[in-house]
Amino acid sequence: MNTTPSAAPRQTRWGLKAKLIVSMLLVGTVPLVIGLGMAFWQGSREIRDVSGESFKALAMEAARKLDLLVAEEIAQTARMANDPTIIRELEHRRDMSENHRVAGVETSDFEAKWEAGEPNAVRSIMENQLSALLREYYTGIRNAPGQLQPQIVRASTKMLFLTDVHGLLVAAIGEKPELRHDRTRWWQGAYHKAVGRLFIEDVRFDKRVNAYVFTISVPVMDQLRYEVVGVLHRVIDAKEFFSPATHAIRFGKTGHVMLIDSNGLVISCPILPTGVPLSDPNLVPLVTPLQPGWVQASSDGHGGRSTSVIGFAPLPETSRATNGSIENGSWHTFVWQASDEIFAPIQHLFTWVTVFGVAGLALLATLGYVAASRIVTPIRQLMLAARAIGRGELKTPIDIRSGDELEELAEEFNRMNQQLNAAFAGLTDQVELKTREVQALQQSTDHILDAVSTPIFLIDADEQVRYANRAACESFGMRRDQSLSISLFDVLPLDASARQRLRREFRAGGAVGAAERAAGLELPRDPLTPPSDQELIDHRPEFRIGSRLYQYQWFRLPARPGQEPVSGLVLRDTTDESRLHEQLVQAEKSGSLGVLTAGIGHELNNPLFGIIGLGEAIQEEQSLERAKAYARDIVAQGRRMATVIRDFAGVTGKEEHDQAVPVSLEEETDRALAIVQSTSDMKNVVVNKRYAGDVRVLAKPDQLQQALANLITNAVQAMKGTGTLTLTTAWSDRVGTVTITDSGPGIPKQHLSKIFDPFFTTRDQGEGSGLGLTVARRIIRKFGGELRIESGEGRGTTCIVTLPAHPAASGEGTWDPSTPQSESQSARLSS
Amino acid sequence: MGSIHATVRIAIRTLVIVGCLWSGSPLLFAKDGPGGDGIPPDKVADYIHAILEANRTIYTTSIVNRLQEKGILSATEHWEQDNTLPLPAQLLQHTGRLVAESGRGIRFRLIGLSPIYQRNAPATQFERQALETLRQRPEQPITGIVTSGKKRYFQAIYADRAVSPACVSCHNTHPLSPKQDFKLNDVMGALAITIPLE
Repeated sequence: MNTTPSAAPRQTRWGLKAKLIVSMLLVGTVPLVIGLGMAFWQGSREIRDVSGESFKALAMEAARKLDLLVAEEIAQTARMANDPTIIRELEHRRDMSENHRVAGVETSDFEAKWEAGEPNAVRSIMENQLSALLREYYTGIRNAPGQLQPQIVRASTKMLFLTDVHGLLVAAIGEKPELRHDRTRWWQGAYHKAVGRLFIEDVRFDKRVNAYVFTISVPVMDQLRYEVVGVLHRVIDAKEFFSPATHAIRFGKTGHVMLIDSNGLVISCPILPTGVPLSDPNLVPLVTPLQPGWVQASSDGHGGRSTSVIGFAPLPETSRATNGSIENGSWHTFVWQASDEIFAPIQHLFTWVTVFGVAGLALLATLGYVAASRIVTPIRQLMLAARAIGRGELKTPIDIRSGDELEELAEEFNRMNQQLNAAFAGLTDQVELKTREVQALQQSTDHILDAVSTPIFLIDADEQVRYANRAACESFGMRRDQSLSISLFDVLPLDASARQRLRREFRAGGAVGAAERAAGLELPRDPLTPPSDQELIDHRPEFRIGSRLYQYQWFRLPARPGQEPVSGLVLRDTTDESRLHEQLVQAEKSGSLGVLTAGIGHELNNPLFGIIGLGEAIQEEQSLERAKAYARDIVAQGRRMATVIRDFAGVTGKEEHDQAVPVSLEEETDRALAIVQSTSDMKNVVVNKRYAGDVRVLAKPDQLQQALANLITNAVQAMKGTGTLTLTTAWSDRVGTVTITDSGPGIPKQHLSKIFDPFFTTRDQGEGSGLGLTVARRIIRKFGGELRIESGEGRGTTCIVTLPAHPAASGEGTWDPSTPQSESQSARLSS
Repeated sequence: MGSIHATVRIAIRTLVIVGCLWSGSPLLFAKDGPGGDGIPPDKVADYIHAILEANRTIYTTSIVNRLQEKGILSATEHWEQDNTLPLPAQLLQHTGRLVAESGRGIRFRLIGLSPIYQRNAPATQFERQALETLRQRPEQPITGIVTSGKKRYFQAIYADRAVSPACVSCHNTHPLSPKQDFKLNDVMGALAITIPLE
């Protein structure tokens, strides 16, 4: 619970209050911006669509109006063309010129006068009867009652004249026209191969009237309406004629209607002068289709390059007659308003929404600041309280009365503080209790260790004695308080080699002992082989200090947390123990000597008495034959004694090193049996032989005989002359085996480990030397074989002799159980 | 749609050309006068009338009605702007104009006592009387010699009936139509065929 500098509150870059305000502003701004953008986009689109549709409707309406205007003018002209006087006059001129083919000469003559402006010539046309008639029509005198001709239309007509079927001027009012018109476009258009049709000419500049004009040419048909007899031609100032109609239609500051022809030439416009083309030629195909519509174009046709919405519509009737037919050109209205003005409402809306949005955001920021302050202040209070709890310094409970989750949180903080305080108090008690327990445990351990009489040291990795019990202190003259800083080898006055060994074992950390154990497991020692004395001396864990001999043992203690592991060393003073052991060994040896002596005496005594008896008998014996027989017996007895002595010599290890030869195991077994039979009472012993055949092994026959005889003797003796002796030979795996089994009582378990000890016997004094098994094993081992005894109490005893087989004997000495060569024979030889 | 238009135009042209060929040849015989081996002008006019009638009938039933029934294209007055088919009456007028423009002299046009456009009103007294007569007796055409100045023409005027519902509905609904109670098969006007006699 120490307060390090890192636990101090970090300088936060963005406080909670700032974050709250920013998030509130974001919540306000993002929808505002998105909504504004959407509204602007959608609004612009809708305004464009609505404007386009309105413009289209307006264009159609204007087109209809202008069309009617033109149609009225055409009708006016057509009424003149239908006048019977005019028709009759023109028919007459047609018939006349057909009858008198001299019209051309007359005409050229008259034409010169006309060009020269001769008053008579001019008057003959301008003031003739037909011209007067035209003027009457023109001024409206001939109009139907109530049908008024607009002044403006009348004023805009600059020229009105009539030609005959050849295009020659017949009558005219207004400005003075040309005399001959048969080559003009309008005349040919209206005459139209004598079929006749209405022909409205596109706007062009006319020098005569000094204005941009369009013309209406109406053919004058004959009475039958069969063919054209003349053309009535009207030249009208376009601006003057159309401007009252188009200029009146204005909307907004820039919105207006204009009239253009199919080439994009302006016929009438409040802004552009008549006769100029539209500023953008690309616009013309967009606005001159034959159906009304509206289009969003990239220019306005008035010189501006801004995106414009343009409504347009053709003049349906007029277009039919322009330049003769609708294919040759048409007239269109063109409705346009500056896009700034069209989109002004949405821009105003945008500005106002932006202004209100900004105001709203400012309000939001203010409210956000207030709200954030209300939230953040109690949180700050809680933070300070938490810091105080962390230091354990919170004395007064936190007091927040906001009535929401923060108040609950404050209460939880208070509760937590109380619980923490209680928990800390309990924890201190527990720690004290545990400490006392540990101390008690340590004291009891010390007392136990002190009570133990063997010296015990605890040594750390630096060979320093950490602890020594009372016995150690007393044994090695240490004061208890100095034990903490003294080297182990200062305490133990060891010679150099023992010190080195001890140090090595200490460094290995007791691993030496383990390794030894592992080695022992790897090569299991024959339990019947006595331990080698040499080994014991080398590895026995003991050392000598002064006159005392100590056995020692390392042990390892588990390391305490955070400390080095400690090794323990237990010493055991075995000085007295080993002395006792030596005395025991000595006593055993002396006892064995006594047994040996008694045994040898016994063994030699019997034959010796036999020899003495036989010798006495020879002395009194007359018969040479019988004496010889006694002598033979004496020799035999002597040999037996020699054998006993040789046995003894065998025990003591004097051996001749003769060469082993291949011998038949069965033969040697039989010979050994014969030897035993010659010396022992085997009348009640049944001998079973189970021979495998000619099992040949490498051995010396005499010694092998002796070893086998010893074993058979033991068996016979164990059975006390009554029972079954089974002799078995076998050959297997380059090993020849002979097994001798008796039906005796067996060997008790406690004796089983001692049976190979020299002089160990269970028989009475003088019955056996106790060397039989020892000798037998020694002999068998010498040949590279092995002797094993298997026995159990009440189960009889089996001696298993294995010997290395002679290589030549392999293959022929297998024992076949189906044809046992065994022969059961009772002992026939009874000496 | 484009192909249909093209087909329609070609069909119209074919009808007109056939009409012209048929109508051109009798004129030669007409010039031979009544006494010779020529064909009298009233017969020639009859031939022409039969061809014109047949052409318009085929156009009405096999082209206009079928296209209209299938909803592909309808016939309207302002067919150029509306991108539609000409009305059967317009077919006759336009072919008449085309024939006139060919310069062969023969003319034919539709006239009526209650025309939508004044230009189709009777031009002469003869035409007006013929229309009056045909209204009573539509079976027989009215023929006669008329003059314009010194020119003489043979004119034959045949009663023209409302051959299809389109004729009736157009005349009965057109804002400029002075008479709006036509019925199918009524005599709406007449077809005037004019043949010059010089």
